[in-house]
Amino acid sequence: MTSDSGSQGSAPRRIDSAGVVIALALAALAAVLVWDASQLQSNNPYGMGPHVMPVVIAVGLGILAIGNLVEALRGNLPARESADTKAVWLILGGLALLIAIIGLGGGFIPATTALFVATATAFGRRAILADLAIGFVMTTLIYVAFSRLLTLSLPAGPLERLF
Amino acid sequence: MIPFYTRLIGAAVALTLAAASPALSQQLELKVMAPAAPGGGWDQTARAMQQALVAAGIARSVQVTNVAGAGGSVGIAQFVNGAKGDGNQMMVNGFVMVGALAMNKSPVTLEQVTPIARLTEEIQVIVVPASSPIKTAQDLAAALKADIAKVTFAGGSAGGVDHVMAALFAGAVGADAKKVNYIPFSGGGESLAAILGGKVTAGISGMSEYDGQIKSGKLRAIGVTSEKRLPGSDIPTFKEQGIDLVLANWRAVMAPPGITAEQKKTLSDAVEKMVKSDAWKEVLKQKGWDDAYLSGDAFADFLKKETVRVTDVLKSVGLVKS
Amino acid sequence: MDAFVALANGMAVAIQPMNMLYALIGVLLGTAVGVLPGIGPALTVALLLPVTYKLDPGGSLIMFAGIYYGGMYGGSTTAILINTPGESASMATALEGNKMAKAGRGGPALATAAIGSFVAGTIATIGLAFLAPWLVDFAVHFGPEDYFALMCVAFVTVSATFGSSPIRGLTSLFIGLTLGLVGIDKLTGQPRLAFGIPELLDGVEVTTLAVGLFAVGEALYVVSRRHHSEEKLEPVRGSLWMTKEDWQRSWKPWLRGTMFGFPIGALPAGGAEIPTFLSYSTEKRLSKHPEEFGKGAIEGVAGPEAANNASAAGTLVPLLTLGLPTSATAAMMLAGFQQYGLNPGPLLFAERPDLVWGLIASLFIANVMLLVLNLPLVGLWVKLLAIPQPWLYAGILVFATTGTIAAKPSVVELSMLAGFGVMGFLMRRFDFPIAPVVVGLILGPIAESQLRRAMSISLGDPMALLQSPMSATLLGIALIALVAPFVMQGLGRFKANED
Repeated sequence: MTSDSGSQGSAPRRIDSAGVVIALALAALAAVLVWDASQLQSNNPYGMGPHVMPVVIAVGLGILAIGNLVEALRGNLPARESADTKAVWLILGGLALLIAIIGLGGGFIPATTALFVATATAFGRRAILADLAIGFVMTTLIYVAFSRLLTLSLPAGPLERLF
Repeated sequence: MIPFYTRLIGAAVALTLAAASPALSQQLELKVMAPAAPGGGWDQTARAMQQALVAAGIARSVQVTNVAGAGGSVGIAQFVNGAKGDGNQMMVNGFVMVGALAMNKSPVTLEQVTPIARLTEEIQVIVVPASSPIKTAQDLAAALKADIAKVTFAGGSAGGVDHVMAALFAGAVGADAKKVNYIPFSGGGESLAAILGGKVTAGISGMSEYDGQIKSGKLRAIGVTSEKRLPGSDIPTFKEQGIDLVLANWRAVMAPPGITAEQKKTLSDAVEKMVKSDAWKEVLKQKGWDDAYLSGDAFADFLKKETVRVTDVLKSVGLVKS
Repeated sequence: MDAFVALANGMAVAIQPMNMLYALIGVLLGTAVGVLPGIGPALTVALLLPVTYKLDPGGSLIMFAGIYYGGMYGGSTTAILINTPGESASMATALEGNKMAKAGRGGPALATAAIGSFVAGTIATIGLAFLAPWLVDFAVHFGPEDYFALMCVAFVTVSATFGSSPIRGLTSLFIGLTLGLVGIDKLTGQPRLAFGIPELLDGVEVTTLAVGLFAVGEALYVVSRRHHSEEKLEPVRGSLWMTKEDWQRSWKPWLRGTMFGFPIGALPAGGAEIPTFLSYSTEKRLSKHPEEFGKGAIEGVAGPEAANNASAAGTLVPLLTLGLPTSATAAMMLAGFQQYGLNPGPLLFAERPDLVWGLIASLFIANVMLLVLNLPLVGLWVKLLAIPQPWLYAGILVFATTGTIAAKPSVVELSMLAGFGVMGFLMRRFDFPIAPVVVGLILGPIAESQLRRAMSISLGDPMALLQSPMSATLLGIALIALVAPFVMQGLGRFKANED
């Protein structure tokens, strides 16, 4: 979604393809809601069943999808500047790494250090080793402070068990 | 200024260190989940355990967490997923959860958790606001037979013991159990407010939740579900009023799936020690709960039988589509 | 008047030097844990409660109160400084507070939050002493239809957070409402939009959504546009302390915030979120500087913070008079009492006035301590913003994820956090407002269950919503709030023509 950025905003009355995608996504969400609501059974003989509200929200989303589509076709979306997708992906990579390390039982310190370094790099730092050291010290301090002193349970891996 | 604050931080750290130091290896740091909103029966049980385990010196610290919703289905899902293999966590549950899981076709079942012990049993009560024209269980029965839709019951989550009891009550007095107008609230607090405010006809709950209100005269109890009157109480049973409704809401404690036999033994021993402690007996007296301790295989058996029984009741009143 | 004497007695106990020290330590510990996003005051108290077991009853109660207030203020601090609301009730604070911090006005924002909390806490404590019996009567008569009507008022005022385009604002709101459907339906126990994923049965955690949208989304957005113009943060521009104008603009929002927070907090299902939203939109409507909203208006911090604090005092009303713990926080208060084998209930006020008033006095003293501790620290806090951008944002992300990891260390939950981060980034990029999503997630489910309860009681007759005087009044207010802006506009035009 971030790639088709460009600067269409400067030329009004042009179809904004990202806006069309948003409208389609909203319509799809509405469809999912209706489908999900149809799977529910009402076991309450009085008042409203569990499917009423999803359908109401789906109708709202449908109307908003049309509204957004009209805006997109008119090119009424606000102007956007080009985006540094590489930097965004770098941070998302850092988050993915964090989730993977936590999921695989690698522990809190390596996971958050990875995120720290990835984010610092995305923001233009190039001293990876120095950032590794800073991140490690910081997350270790956080771990010790919260996990040991304040008995908050943070996931422990091989490294954390040393404390 | 700065040295002053530094000293304070030092004091704070020293204090926490002092709190954390004694005999770490022998004493447990437990987490007990109450899969209900604060104030309800499971929450009270979890907090009572917290009180007794710490007071009796069995655990160094016990942390109670609340995960509310749908008769504990939300809580057990989180417990099974989040606490797997963790030998320091337990979850309170009971009758309500058996029904809720069956009714929801929950992807998580009670077979997935490790049963530790049944702790207590509580008798159920039906109350009406003090100003209500309904004085006895027979009055309520008459109202139900006159127009079942207009008699609204407030209680705990859908498919829970309160809900089952509303259906059983209707069935026992010869009304159509399927048509009971039952309104679930997510915690004891919210439903109590609805009853006190006269928004519903009657409220159903365990004795402990409404005890204070009954004693202070804000609510009138029209019947209890025990075989005989409770000791020291003048509330009539349903049985003596000619309505065949006997039911007890049991509460138990479970461990997560995937724990080792050793971890299970540690937890079972801790719970057994707790049940035998004076602190626990004091709690039971205070809350008016009946001790119903049952552990090991006997409890696992009981759990299986109860699951079958509750599911049958729910099917017979149309809450579970068979 | 007895209440007043009892309160004075409680105060006398609380201001002993040793007890003051406990209050300070409590506030410090509470702030330390409370700054983690996702760890709200209730959880902070739960985590630190064992620490208080070691002290004598009076000291323990006081440290307990300190932890509670510290935890609450910790959430506001991160909301203001790094746009990461620590709990759902400080979301409204983040809206204007962070904009102020970015404009070099973090000092006044933190100060107005702390002083506003203090003012609201004080007024609400007095309210508790004198109005509790009357208020509780009002609270129990608040039925499902009245709650639904209150939600309608809240929904109407949400538009204050919409930004420039109603279509995009409504789109955000409906995305939030959709997220609110996820999980087990409270009234029938059936799973909705869970797609067989057990973790989704829990529904979407408000703090996960808020931290994802606010903190992660913002980091992604800032990094994506870094090559255009590097954002320069000036920690302090102008006065570090509140100026005379800041005071003038703050005191009314403090009072109005208290008026929203205390009664709504006293309702068994009232909560802290609704009063903060109501306060935010009221301040936006009433402000003499509406153009500053969205850019860092001090009223938008002062009001919601006061409302948040007052609602916390409000939850004590049903707790102390009826023994009803109506929030997680109140349940923790209950734990505080149960340390002494006491069960709050209708008889507590009569039986143990010393302890009840001791707790209330402790809350008051802890509030004072918070002010004493935090005002001098404001200068230090805002210096955090001078950290170079790469480390600042790296630190923010580490902090934001630490909160989620501590609250719920599951892969699904962390993936949701990352997913909401991407959503926050895209929404910023396409100029969709963020706040309505969180508002929708919080209000949607409450409105739905209360409406369905009301409909069950009335057997599906919608007229029930108008038959209750309270509900009819609130619906009327909602209607006026909906129509008034257009009428005012018309009047304005009319006046302009007259000139």
